[in-house]
Amino acid sequence: MFNRFKEKLSGFKEALSSKIQEKVGAKADQAEKATTAEKPAAASSQPQQEARSGAVSEAPKAREAERDSSKPKNRLSFLEKAKTLVFEQEVVLEEKDLDEPLWALEMALLESDVALPVAEEIVKEVKSGLLGVKKKIGADTGELAEEALRGALLNILSRNHIDFDEYISDKEKPVKILFVGVNGTGKTTSIAKVAKHLMDRGYSVVLAAGDTFRAGAIEQLEVHGNKLGLKVVKHKTGGDPAAVIFDAIEYAKAHNKDVVLADTAGRLHTNINLMDQMKKIVRVTKPDLLIFVDEAIAGNDAVERARLFNESVPIGGSILTKTDADAKGGSAISVAYITGKPVLFLGIGQTYPDLVKFEPQWLVDRLMGEAEA
Amino acid sequence: MVLDNLGGSLRNALRRIASANKIDKALVDEAVREIQRALLQADVNVKLVMQLSNKIKERALDEKPPAGMNPREHVINIVYQELINLVGRGTDVPLKKQNIMLIGLQGSGKTTTAAKLATYFQRKGLRAAVICADTFRAGAYDQLKALCERQGIFFYGEKGNPDAAAVAKSGLEAAKRYDVKIVDTAGRHALEADLIQEMMDIHAVANADQKLLVMDAALGQQASEQARAFNEAVQITGVIITKLDGTAKGGGALSAVAETKTSVAFIGVGETPADLEKFEADRFISRLLGMGDIKTLIERAQEVQTDQAVNVDALMRGKFTLKDMYQQMEAMNKLGPLKQIMQMLPMGGLGFELSDKEYQMTKTRLDKYRVIMDSMTAAELEDPKIITASRIVRISRGSGASTDLVRELLKSHQAMQKAIKGMRGGMGKMNMKRLMKRFSPGTKM
Repeated sequence: MFNRFKEKLSGFKEALSSKIQEKVGAKADQAEKATTAEKPAAASSQPQQEARSGAVSEAPKAREAERDSSKPKNRLSFLEKAKTLVFEQEVVLEEKDLDEPLWALEMALLESDVALPVAEEIVKEVKSGLLGVKKKIGADTGELAEEALRGALLNILSRNHIDFDEYISDKEKPVKILFVGVNGTGKTTSIAKVAKHLMDRGYSVVLAAGDTFRAGAIEQLEVHGNKLGLKVVKHKTGGDPAAVIFDAIEYAKAHNKDVVLADTAGRLHTNINLMDQMKKIVRVTKPDLLIFVDEAIAGNDAVERARLFNESVPIGGSILTKTDADAKGGSAISVAYITGKPVLFLGIGQTYPDLVKFEPQWLVDRLMGEAEA
Repeated sequence: MVLDNLGGSLRNALRRIASANKIDKALVDEAVREIQRALLQADVNVKLVMQLSNKIKERALDEKPPAGMNPREHVINIVYQELINLVGRGTDVPLKKQNIMLIGLQGSGKTTTAAKLATYFQRKGLRAAVICADTFRAGAYDQLKALCERQGIFFYGEKGNPDAAAVAKSGLEAAKRYDVKIVDTAGRHALEADLIQEMMDIHAVANADQKLLVMDAALGQQASEQARAFNEAVQITGVIITKLDGTAKGGGALSAVAETKTSVAFIGVGETPADLEKFEADRFISRLLGMGDIKTLIERAQEVQTDQAVNVDALMRGKFTLKDMYQQMEAMNKLGPLKQIMQMLPMGGLGFELSDKEYQMTKTRLDKYRVIMDSMTAAELEDPKIITASRIVRISRGSGASTDLVRELLKSHQAMQKAIKGMRGGMGKMNMKRLMKRFSPGTKM
């Protein structure tokens, strides 16, 4: 997973490198050649135009994006700039230089399913991190870009960080956790996985079949309950979800259970009645933690959903499912950005242990290609 | 309705083209960039967006606008044509004896769609049967069984048998005498090699005429790749987009359709078995771009002129009856959601924006007004002055609206009549916002 982003990201790094290289290349200085030997494009004494196209073939991906952006380029002033550079030892990154690489970055983020508004924010942040930075000729440009991006991503993913296990152990029992999300994102499956995660750590768990709407939802949770040997508190299909969950909490109190995991029906964020029902469930059951479940393969809509759910009820954290479907990882960034709350777990498969705790550093390392996914 | 900033910026860019005398590169660049934004935000595959926007740019600059079409309409027209080329007119699923196999990612809505499809065929007079070949997901059997029982649809499934292909085979045998046999399968994704194999095994026995890929409207950049994998395994014949009643635009599904050279058969727009609609390319594209009905937009551009001429004519005589008001509402209703009409009309693009809440209120109000007017006699519609207190009581009873509301309607009409008289001859610049305000509740007349 996440491999795609790595490739795309290198497009951004190379675009930035070649941009800086252009500036440097303008010198056409033989001495410079040695330090930048790995960039043959810059190391020629050919006219400026050809040096450009050389650099470009090196980063075809970035080039493609550049062409599409088709920013009118002002060659004259570029040459002017290049001339002045001959007399300087370092390059200052200016807005104009960053446009194309940042466009490549934005495309890379979009292709990784980071939603457009979020991608734009990240690009803005990276830009402000890079703007005006004095770049010593010969220093690693990729590193510079990476630093800026890494900072921006970590910043988004680490806000209001909570450690789920610590949270559970510190909280007064029973800890009431409610799972919400749109239809088909994997709430019920995630509940079973979280239950297993908690059981492995010695907690006793009760499940509440709060999805009283969808046909087969109660049965689905029961199957998981049976497999895991857990009590499932349920009413009939069509019953009041708040009542079911309330009963489950009472049961947990009476039987000294540690954690109540409550399922709810999937609902689209545009359905006002169902969103009101969710607010009522929250009002009645007063959960300690509200977990928003969404799929990692969702695109821009992840933002819209996360926003509207978060506006209706206080989301405490998210679980992103179906990460194993070659998800690009971008929705984690989108959801974290919009809710301002951490991603707690990633779902990575169809069996119970296929749930990994989410660490911002872990995702960023994988996105940036430092660790193997 | 969700506020669409995107449609707004796209409209802005197009507006600038509209007010320009000729299309130049800078204007087109700007518009194309907004179109790119719109498409990207709708989850259309990035590469596809780039191809598309290049083509649009080329055509917008090279082709001369046809006579009578202004630059803005010309550009919109090109965008529309290119998108139609991609998305196609839709897969026609014929009403005949056939086997249908539903496949897709986990949680995309296959099971719900299976019940919806069966209901669809059942309503068209074909006997439908549903076979549960999802032997993996907990509760899948119970879910489909319950859905089918509610709709009185033949259901076949084997609880506890993990061999999906075998279940599909005996299911088809058991449903032999049914016209349309729908096979539901477990969710899977492209990287699950064993599950892809299982799907091919089911395919081998299902002998399906239609292999429909069920896709969540919210699916992101993954869509093309997943669709390709499914297509390679079983050659899909069409796509069903689900959850289009949310805010997702379905751009992923569009990319999938483009990738597999198929088209969309149905769209899912709700949770009940009836919430399955035939795919309409025009509406889908409008939604994708976040702007009003794009095709009608072009048609409207010309019509608006003639419409107004007629209206002005009648109104110049100073006569604006309830009937006229009703006709206006009817006409608006036919055109689609109020918000879209507002966007389509020239003044819709002239700077003022109604909030979503205002639209919503106006819309409910208009609906109620229509019901009230349906309860009036022709004479009353022609001459509202004859409506006395006792008539108001009758109308209120007939329409189920309160007498207050009936009075409010009459007041609205009076206010509109007055406003229109005041604007005589100036119909072309009629202030729609003022008009809308008068329909809104709580506004002092």
